[in-house]
Amino acid sequence: MRPFIKALAAEMIKQHKNYFHSKMIYVSLFVWPFLNFITTYYSFKVFDIGKSKIAYITAENMVVYLLLGYMCMSFFRSLVQSAWNFSFERISGTLELIYLSPVNRAAVLLGNAVSSLFESVFVMLIFSLLVIVMKVEVLIIKILPCITVFFIVTAMAVAWGMFLNSLFLFSRDSDFLFTILEEPMEIFSGVKVPTALFPLWAKAISIIFPLTYAIEAVRRVVLTGSSLYEIREFAVIGIGITVVLFALISVIIKRVESHMRITGNITLF
Amino acid sequence: MNLKVLYGTMKKELMIKYRAYPAHFFVGNTLTGLYTVLGAWMMWKFLFEGNMAQDFSEITGTGDYISYVVVGSLTYLFVVRTCLNVSRSLITELREGTLESLMLAPFKRAEYFLGSMLVQTLTTSAEIIVSLIIAIPFGIDLSRADMGAFLIAFIVSLYAFFGVSMVLGSIMLYTRDTYISQNTLFAFLFLVCGISFPVQYLPEWLRVIAEVIPVTEAVNLIRVTLLSGSGISEQMQSVQYILLLSTAYVVVGFMQMKRCEEIALEKING
Amino acid sequence: MIIAEHLKKTYIVKQGKGLFREKQEIQAVRDISLQIEKGKIVGLLGINGAGKTTTIKMLTTLLSPTEGSYFLDDIDGVKYPVEIKKRINMIAGGERMIYWRLTAYENLWYYGQIYNVSNNVLKERIDTLLKLVGLENKKDVPVETFSKGMKQRLQIARGLINDPQYLFLDEPTIGLDAVVSKELRSHIKHLAKEQNKGILITSHYMGEIEELCDYIYIMNDGVLIKKGTVKELTTETFNRKNYVLRLDKHSKEITECICDKLKVVDATVEVKDENDAIYINSRENISMELSRACMEAGLYIREMYEKEPHLEDAIIRLSREVHHEAVY
Repeated sequence: MRPFIKALAAEMIKQHKNYFHSKMIYVSLFVWPFLNFITTYYSFKVFDIGKSKIAYITAENMVVYLLLGYMCMSFFRSLVQSAWNFSFERISGTLELIYLSPVNRAAVLLGNAVSSLFESVFVMLIFSLLVIVMKVEVLIIKILPCITVFFIVTAMAVAWGMFLNSLFLFSRDSDFLFTILEEPMEIFSGVKVPTALFPLWAKAISIIFPLTYAIEAVRRVVLTGSSLYEIREFAVIGIGITVVLFALISVIIKRVESHMRITGNITLF
Repeated sequence: MNLKVLYGTMKKELMIKYRAYPAHFFVGNTLTGLYTVLGAWMMWKFLFEGNMAQDFSEITGTGDYISYVVVGSLTYLFVVRTCLNVSRSLITELREGTLESLMLAPFKRAEYFLGSMLVQTLTTSAEIIVSLIIAIPFGIDLSRADMGAFLIAFIVSLYAFFGVSMVLGSIMLYTRDTYISQNTLFAFLFLVCGISFPVQYLPEWLRVIAEVIPVTEAVNLIRVTLLSGSGISEQMQSVQYILLLSTAYVVVGFMQMKRCEEIALEKING
Repeated sequence: MIIAEHLKKTYIVKQGKGLFREKQEIQAVRDISLQIEKGKIVGLLGINGAGKTTTIKMLTTLLSPTEGSYFLDDIDGVKYPVEIKKRINMIAGGERMIYWRLTAYENLWYYGQIYNVSNNVLKERIDTLLKLVGLENKKDVPVETFSKGMKQRLQIARGLINDPQYLFLDEPTIGLDAVVSKELRSHIKHLAKEQNKGILITSHYMGEIEELCDYIYIMNDGVLIKKGTVKELTTETFNRKNYVLRLDKHSKEITECICDKLKVVDATVEVKDENDAIYINSRENISMELSRACMEAGLYIREMYEKEPHLEDAIIRLSREVHHEAVY
């Protein structure tokens, strides 16, 4: 266990130093989601908000509704980005050195995912402050469910990040995966339109993104003051997804390494 | 004009494109178009069931949100692609180590950039046409398009996009960064240039900024010619404004570019 | 001791693009057996594509052999690659494989962590290693500001971070200037002789191999074609002398005349006529006979010297021989 923790910590520190060497990276973490958010805010204005079909969206709390969506999304998106960054290790040859070492592969992937999470948590805090400052009156929050949701969402995000890491690492067309995963995630996980309103086909797509569940749960505990009992379904799904993802990750790690040792090529797909 | 440079650059770009970007690049680009349309459509259809705000049709002169947003998004896509190609061409050469050899050759910037832009215009047009076809089921209405006026608007807009990418290109070469500068600019353009909602919704100071970016007026022009069938003679003022503004961008871009090239080359040696 | 026997590696390569890719078998290594003793430096030579890199990757467990056995100090490397990984390391030439944005110290620290080196040992070891490769003054500088040679020296320190018992060096001096590669060679010698590490090295530089290696394996086309100590190999392959001769006159007749005269002394002599020079390859030292032959023919010698055999020549020669054997 100790080597695992050591490797985990080292990986986190390394990734942090490697990718956050320049302050400019914070632009991508704050400015882009912020610009995106404002754009979406204005593009909502072209509609007659009073006639929306979701009860908890009103002209008053629409900003908060959107902010929460964006907050969750940038949480998950930073993990997509970290996975994308990690795929550069293959190009620069450092991945081969990681494989040369006896280190636990899962520790490396986890370290990479968790390191990007620190920054995301920071972003999340800023977003939350924004929410509170702007519209404290629309918030109906119970503390315990809120904390529970936060932890489950974090666990899901980490698992999702690790899963993407393992995928991106071993696929040659990581850019392609990026276009497939990132934009649909924004559309189908309910950042703008709640998935409850989706037709069946869109719902079918939305269920594959962990972000879908995260956004819904966060909105419910923040905007409608759901109790622990009311979010029990989410808790079960969230923990289930995390477990499934971890199982998948360990299978991928094993398969990839044995595949690589046979073909001399990391690319699986 | 020495057409050899132009031709050479075009051929090189086409070859690189053909070899380095297989079919999935094309698919990826058209997918981006599809996603933008899909995202807007879902908002319109499922969340608001087509209920537009009162002032939307007053400002835009149309209640047809989907056509409005599709044309806006596809034009935006065109801006992004132009910037990605033209602005990045020099810094890519710098990174791949070919800038020095390029500078050694008696090389004419204007033709070099035009060459990379023309190639990109061809491929992007193909992407946009595919995206437009995809947008038909979503209910885009082009029945009133004035194709002649649209073509002129398109060419004028290309010039505007070229100007913007020159300025972005010099920023990239100066900061030696592509990722941050390009994506920040794109996100900003998407906000202020009237892509998915009319600029009139923005606060006053942002509208002033939007007016000095030629993309804003270009999007407008394309929309007007495609959607409300306005002839080019009615839009002469707008055309002149874009041409003037873009020329300023091109001039500034070129001057900066030249300076930055020198700086960049010094940095290689240093 | 590392004992590898009859290692074989066959790749299945998918050819072409799209869905219908043809599968093709490529035999990168057909049969190789070798041994690396502690405290000894072993050279692995071959022309490009001979299978050197594949061999090294099998020995470092990055690749699993298709057939054959591999034991490191009696640990089965095919079955327990992780145990092997703890005891070895690899250093490849070139500037890649380090994190450019991290400092030299941070790079070594990171690799120390993933090799699970205990933290109190690690700090001391990093300092020692940085001193060894002469980077102690640069330890807090990001690697991207390093010169090529400095990056490569950091690679060497990285390869020693887990204090490996066996070390694999893949073209460690490629692209380094003469002074730095000389220093590096003395480091390598020190590692084997003083620290009793087993080392396998590949290189394109003949001098390097001759200077360092206790034993040499030569590969061609996936098989071992020669092995032996430097001395054994020199007497077998590299002992033939090469002369370059430039005369004031130049013709086919002159070349033939010289050839006839030399054949009397050494029947195996080969004389080639290229550009404006005559190239002579013989088993014995025939410089006396050569100059005498010129004098007798009344030819004025403008230039005559003995050419040191290059590794490249020797290998090409060897591989040609192998090829001939295969054909006839």
